[in-house]
Formats: sequence, structure tokens, C-alpha cells
Amino acid sequence: MAENHSSPLDDDNDTLLFEKLQEHVLAHYPNPERKGCPDPAVLKSLVEAPGDVTLASLNDLHIFKCAECTRMLMELRQKKKHEASE
Amino acid sequence: MVEMQKPTPSDLCWNAKFPPEQEWIERTVHVAVGNIWRHAHHFAHAQLGDDSMVPEIMEIAIDGTVSRLETGSPQSHEDVAVLLERLFLQEVRRRRNANNRLVYLGSDQELPNGSAQTPHAPIDSAIDLDRILHDIPPDVRIALLLRYSRSRWSEVAAVLGTTEAAIRLRCKRALDRIRQKMEGEIHEI
Repeated sequence: MAENHSSPLDDDNDTLLFEKLQEHVLAHYPNPERKGCPDPAVLKSLVEAPGDVTLASLNDLHIFKCAECTRMLMELRQKKKHEASE
Repeated sequence: MVEMQKPTPSDLCWNAKFPPEQEWIERTVHVAVGNIWRHAHHFAHAQLGDDSMVPEIMEIAIDGTVSRLETGSPQSHEDVAVLLERLFLQEVRRRRNANNRLVYLGSDQELPNGSAQTPHAPIDSAIDLDRILHDIPPDVRIALLLRYSRSRWSEVAAVLGTTEAAIRLRCKRALDRIRQKMEGEIHEI
């Protein structure tokens, strides 16, 4: 893995990078009217059954430009983690 | 009552003076205007408070782009879009700075805080991120979305039926570009 490592500050999962990206999206891409958002069921699938999800159903990279979708993904991920620990 | 329609990218290109002997310039500029049109409105709205000046500013950017291109060799659509966008953003920033210099006597803008441009910085970042992500291939897009929705590359690799090393290598270029964009914020930690 070491050869792929791009930053000495980050780990092999690029955790810091994705955390910063998430914060960046939350701060810079408010979308209160939920314009262009994929169906909530698609976001749920992305977390629970990602093999079923297509780029088209996600409206391409919309999530990287939507604080609302990012927030929902965080909640779904948290819920999944919570369920797994029970 | 007939409502006046807003100019389209095609209207703006119609107004511009393109050198007839270099037909590629008109073709590539036309495509470039269409490609950056949405960003241009977003950026102008964020920097100037509204996007009503976009057609006028875009015309200036088109003229600047044409004058630079007619003295050089043919460029790709992407390069022309980058040049046009740079000239557009430059003109928007110039106007924003000119507006910031208009200080009303007795207003709080007389206070010497020197930070008139600071609130706009996050908007610049947002637009840059949009640009970073727009040309990545579909398989990398889906991998990045999967990684964004979970916490480990090993899980992404399992979903895509590949290895963790392979998927990270495939995404490396996009990750480097995002990392570069986020670098300032990461170093703050």
C-alpha cells in the first residue's frame, strides 16, 4: 500500500482526505431545495447494497456537490454502523 | 407583454468577431462558452451578488480569448475552455474588487478590517472542486462515490470485485487532485 500513499499525514484509507472532502461539501454546497438529488432509496442502496447502484441513478457526482445528500449519507452510514454493533 | 429573453451562449458568440480564416476558433469558443456557462452564472452570483452581468462579462472574455487564440496554433476544446474561464473569472474579480473600493462615507465599510475578499474564498473553492471532478472516468467516479459512502478502500474493492491496491491506483490521479485542492485545509489540522 505504501507506494499508493499520497500524503504522510493520511492513512491507507485516505481517511483525512475524505473527511475534509465531506466537510468541504457540507460547507460549500448547501442545497436546501434538494435540486438534482437522487431518490433517498438510492442513497440507502449506496450504503446498504452498493452493487445495485448506478452512476445514472445517483445523478452522477451530484453527492459531491450536495450538502443535503452528504448529510443523509452520514446518517445512513451511522445507522448501519449502529445496527452492526447491536 | 413580451418578456425580453436572456442572451444564450450562441447569441454571445454571434456578437463576437471571429477571424474568418481560422474557423476552429469560433467552433471551440462556442463549445467553451456552453461548457462554462453554468459555472459562470454561479461564480458571478457568488462574487457580485447577481448574475445579470454574465452576458456582458462573457463577451469581454470571448473577445480576450479570440485575440489570444488568433496569434497561436489551434488548441483543444479543453484548453480553450480553460482560457475562456480564466478570463471570465479575472473580469468578475476585477469588477468585484472595483465594487469593494466603493466605500460609502459613514458606513461600516470605512472600518479598516482589510478583509473585503475573504467571504468569497469558499465559493472559489467550491467551483474549483467542481472542475476537478468533471473529467474523471466513470469507473473512478463510482469508486470515489463508494469510498465517500463508506470508510475503507477494502470495502470499495469488494463491491467492485477487485483488489484494494488496484482500486486505489485507479483512483490515484483523482485523489491527488482532490488532495491538492484540500491541501491547505489538511495542513491546518
